[in-house]
Amino acid sequence: MATLFIDNAPYQVKEGKNLLEACLSLGFDLPYFCWHPAMGSVGACRQCAVKSFRDEEDTRGKLVMSCMEPVRDQARISIQDAEAVGFRAGIIEWLMTNHPHDCAVCDEGGSCHLQDMTVMTGHNYRRFRFNKRTYRNQDLGPFLNHEMNRCIHCYRCIRFYKDYAGGKDLDAMGAHNHVYFGRSEDGVLENEFSGNLAEVCPTGVFTDKSLKQHYTRKWDMTHAPSLCQGCAMGCNIIASERYGELRQISSRFNGEVNGYFICDRGRFGYEFVNSEDRIREIGVKGKPEIKDRDSLLRTAAARIREGSVLGIGSPRASLESNFALRKLVGEDNFYHGVADTEFDLVNLTLRILKEGTVRTPTLPEIESADAILILGEDLINTAPRMVLALRQAVRRGPGEALSARMNVPLWQDAAIRQAIQQDKAPLFSITPYPVRQDELATKSLYESPDDISRIGFAIAHAIDPDVTEIKRLSDEERMWTAHMAAVLLRAERPLIISGYGAGSEAVIKSAADVAWALKKSGKDVRLSLTVPECNSMGLAMMGGHRLESALDAVAHGHADTVIILENDLYRRAEKTLVDEFLQKSRHVILLDQVYHQTAEEADVIIPAGTFAEADGTLISGEGRAQRFYQVFVPDGPVQESWRWLQQLAEACGNRTLSHLRILDDFVLEIAKTCPQFEGIEHIAPPSDFRIGAQKIARQPHRYSGRTAKEAHIQVSERKPPSDEDSPLSFTMEGYHGIPPSAVVPFFWAPGWNSIQSINKYQIEVGGPLHDGDPGRRLIEPGDAHTPVFFAEQAAPFPIRPDCLYLIPQYAIFGTEEFSVHSPGIASRSPAAAITVARADADSWGLRDGDLLEFQFNGQEYKLAIQTNQQYPRGMGTLPIGLKGVPFMDLPGWIRLKPVERS
Amino acid sequence: MEKLENISLTGRKKVLEKKPMNFLERIYLPSIVQGLAITFKHLFKKKATIQYPEQRREFSVNFRGIHSLKRDEEGRERCTACGLCALSCPAEAITMIADERKPGEEHLYREEKYAAVYEINMLRCIFCGFCEEACPKQAIYLDGDIAPADVDRKNFIYGKDKLLEPLLK
Ligand code: SF4
Ligand code: SF4
Ligand code: SF4
Ligand code: SF4
Ligand code: FES
Repeated sequence: MATLFIDNAPYQVKEGKNLLEACLSLGFDLPYFCWHPAMGSVGACRQCAVKSFRDEEDTRGKLVMSCMEPVRDQARISIQDAEAVGFRAGIIEWLMTNHPHDCAVCDEGGSCHLQDMTVMTGHNYRRFRFNKRTYRNQDLGPFLNHEMNRCIHCYRCIRFYKDYAGGKDLDAMGAHNHVYFGRSEDGVLENEFSGNLAEVCPTGVFTDKSLKQHYTRKWDMTHAPSLCQGCAMGCNIIASERYGELRQISSRFNGEVNGYFICDRGRFGYEFVNSEDRIREIGVKGKPEIKDRDSLLRTAAARIREGSVLGIGSPRASLESNFALRKLVGEDNFYHGVADTEFDLVNLTLRILKEGTVRTPTLPEIESADAILILGEDLINTAPRMVLALRQAVRRGPGEALSARMNVPLWQDAAIRQAIQQDKAPLFSITPYPVRQDELATKSLYESPDDISRIGFAIAHAIDPDVTEIKRLSDEERMWTAHMAAVLLRAERPLIISGYGAGSEAVIKSAADVAWALKKSGKDVRLSLTVPECNSMGLAMMGGHRLESALDAVAHGHADTVIILENDLYRRAEKTLVDEFLQKSRHVILLDQVYHQTAEEADVIIPAGTFAEADGTLISGEGRAQRFYQVFVPDGPVQESWRWLQQLAEACGNRTLSHLRILDDFVLEIAKTCPQFEGIEHIAPPSDFRIGAQKIARQPHRYSGRTAKEAHIQVSERKPPSDEDSPLSFTMEGYHGIPPSAVVPFFWAPGWNSIQSINKYQIEVGGPLHDGDPGRRLIEPGDAHTPVFFAEQAAPFPIRPDCLYLIPQYAIFGTEEFSVHSPGIASRSPAAAITVARADADSWGLRDGDLLEFQFNGQEYKLAIQTNQQYPRGMGTLPIGLKGVPFMDLPGWIRLKPVERS
Repeated sequence: MEKLENISLTGRKKVLEKKPMNFLERIYLPSIVQGLAITFKHLFKKKATIQYPEQRREFSVNFRGIHSLKRDEEGRERCTACGLCALSCPAEAITMIADERKPGEEHLYREEKYAAVYEINMLRCIFCGFCEEACPKQAIYLDGDIAPADVDRKNFIYGKDKLLEPLLK
């Protein structure tokens, strides 16, 4: 701790930070632009000036940029000093000379850092009377809008996009008063994290294009703390609504999970909530008159009572909904609506994490790993946010070393980056095909899944001879395994990453072996295993049977009524099987949010709330339980699945859920009856939580138009909906200060209208939120000190003539079921084609774009091919989940139809 | 000294004595004649009311009547749906839905963004004029008439059809 005198008053602050961070952490309002808590300082904008004094006697002092000066014990600075105040006002006035002052038109208005800083410095009247500099704007694709005239040249955008996120197609161009931030030509911003520019840019240059389609000011939206449902990373988001339409997703700071940033799938993949394809009405085949909840419940209950029923749960439904279904149908009749391969992979993952010796990493732990081994994962497509963390991790080691050697603090971003150059901490990526993380890797290998696992086990064996030795490695493989093992053993905090991506249990096991071996040799190692969907982990933890068994049960007449929870079975099993299953079932009752193929076959369709219209708990891949909250109450019969299922159970005379009514009841019941979920009752305050007898307001205190908004429906104001499930209120009435971190509906502080107000919610800027980052880890490794290694002896990958080992390939834009309903995401989804090694294609006499005919599991398929020189031979990839790609339970061998050569 | 509990908090309380009425007061007649005299006097005075709506008074220059959404010199809608009027409205009576101006609509809307829907709930409006004051685009003025009466509440929801200045031509 150091003593820092600010305007002659002493404060205790942490050493090692810069003055700006120290002042902000103490709660002072000091304006800044170019500094960002996650990206450090470059001293580009000169906005953060303060006066620094040599000692008590020094009365003149000198101006310094607070973001560039480290905190020193007994340092004396002044924020209020007239010269410093004047300097900051001058800088703003200067920045504003070219600013178009079009706040009224600008989408940033009302959540704009430039507005806030301008007000803060007191620059009210414009004196500059000359022409403003103007630019031409670019079309940057479906996600971001570009309005360069608003730029104040703080360089944050390219520091985020190029330096932090590794993007290549955005740059600062030109010189003097004409520096331009954009692409070399119009076109889609390629980086998967581009959406963060809307938050990083302190002005309205980069704004959310999807918000523009239904623009609403921040103060006019109802916000709620929510969770991204795009993948299993569990990123925290803020979801915002007006007029019954979800309008924006922004990132919600959680230092343990996603920090300040989220990926573009998470940010732009929300439009399905407003989509035409939404299931909004009750549908009973042959009985169009049934439109209200009560008669639906009666009809559905009658059908459920009629026969023997089974329930199919979902990895994209909340814990509460899955639990309610399991209670309704009974534990023995509860099946997981996931593909069988996925079922096995996720269960294996859970077992490894629970029974193994190594724990999963939090975000800061990923970012501080000093050696990384990735086995089989195409991370940008299976766990996007992790790639951004890895990018920081590989810089961290060299950065820290240099910082110590040169005596330059780590937050001196420009200096450290200059010094690091291309130096990276070791990252080894062994994947079946070229992937995005290759640019971070010190070595990338492309191998078939079998061979990846062999290399993995070989590395584990090199670390710990207790792991079974792998025979028949090639010389090159032998050399690399020895090298990788040595590097991992040299590291202090190694990180091993694998998961469902390669579709191989052996790969996951080999990763576990490596991690366990490292742990045994005393390393502070972490093991991250990806799982596919937002609640895959929760569903696996809950337990249940395979989907295959459900299909069997109906085929053999053990069950005839099926309740499907938030699931499209055509994405989980082969079409013929699902067809047969649905036809054989007497009644198919579906609860879901969006129409899909399964919905077409269902006889009862129950409209379920999306994450914006429901509350619930999800368990992320890390094993973290987190809560998401309803944003608005939709019109019509839509409600939470767990609520429907509870009412259904009641209507059926099933008393197991009778004592549960609100969310809290479900949460407590789950925690009480399932020991594996103990603790989920503490991840967020209960619904009766109040601050000064008030609920926490979902709407900002400036929310406008409440007496007019619905006047066209009913002139007398309607009673606002009340929320019995959470401590949040649906209106602007309620507490507007800083609530517990798990229930922050939006970030706002007096004078800080933009997302930069997060500073005020943190204990110290950039650090955890006031009462800790939200969520609670439920999976901790067992106490076993000596691991039981997997003893797998995979043979080298065989290349079979006329056969191809087809593995699934995931796409950040395209694979996920719901996000493709956003037109922007759909436009970036890859082509539905099989990619194979060029040499393989040549041997079949096929070229790019030709059709490949093949058989898989007795079905015939025909798909276009693409070739890639870097693919291993005998193996191909198929992007799955895309429109137009039929479900195949991959990976597996496909038999090629002989190509007729003319 | 008066008793403490009898002293009024405001200090303005007066205790009135109730005297019994005398004979003249009791027969009421003089009071009635007095009252009628005043009434008849007013028959010959100037009238205090006017025959509204046939006759109208002159408004003060800063009278605030019904809002109008303005157009610029070229007839384009000035409002850019910034929401500041709605924000400043103490009665929460204004709501709008913004839309993007499409290429080819430059002659209709002055700014890139415009209000596709703009509604004021006139039952709620208190004619304070804050919206006029807040507007950065000089797009809304309370320069209209007194809001007419109606028997249906629905008709007090004024949309763009009623608010927008007609095109002069
Ligand atoms: S575009 Fe935004 S982030 Fe980039 S330099 Fe300009 S103001 Fe800063
Ligand atoms: S990484 Fe996953 S959870 Fe995070 S924003 Fe992207 S899709 Fe959502
Ligand atoms: S005059 Fe006042 S009350 Fe009426 S709409 Fe304008 S701001 Fe609201
Ligand atoms: S303040 Fe003016 S420009 Fe803005 S929405 Fe209201 S009327 Fe339109
Ligand atoms: S924030 Fe310090 S110079 Fe920009």
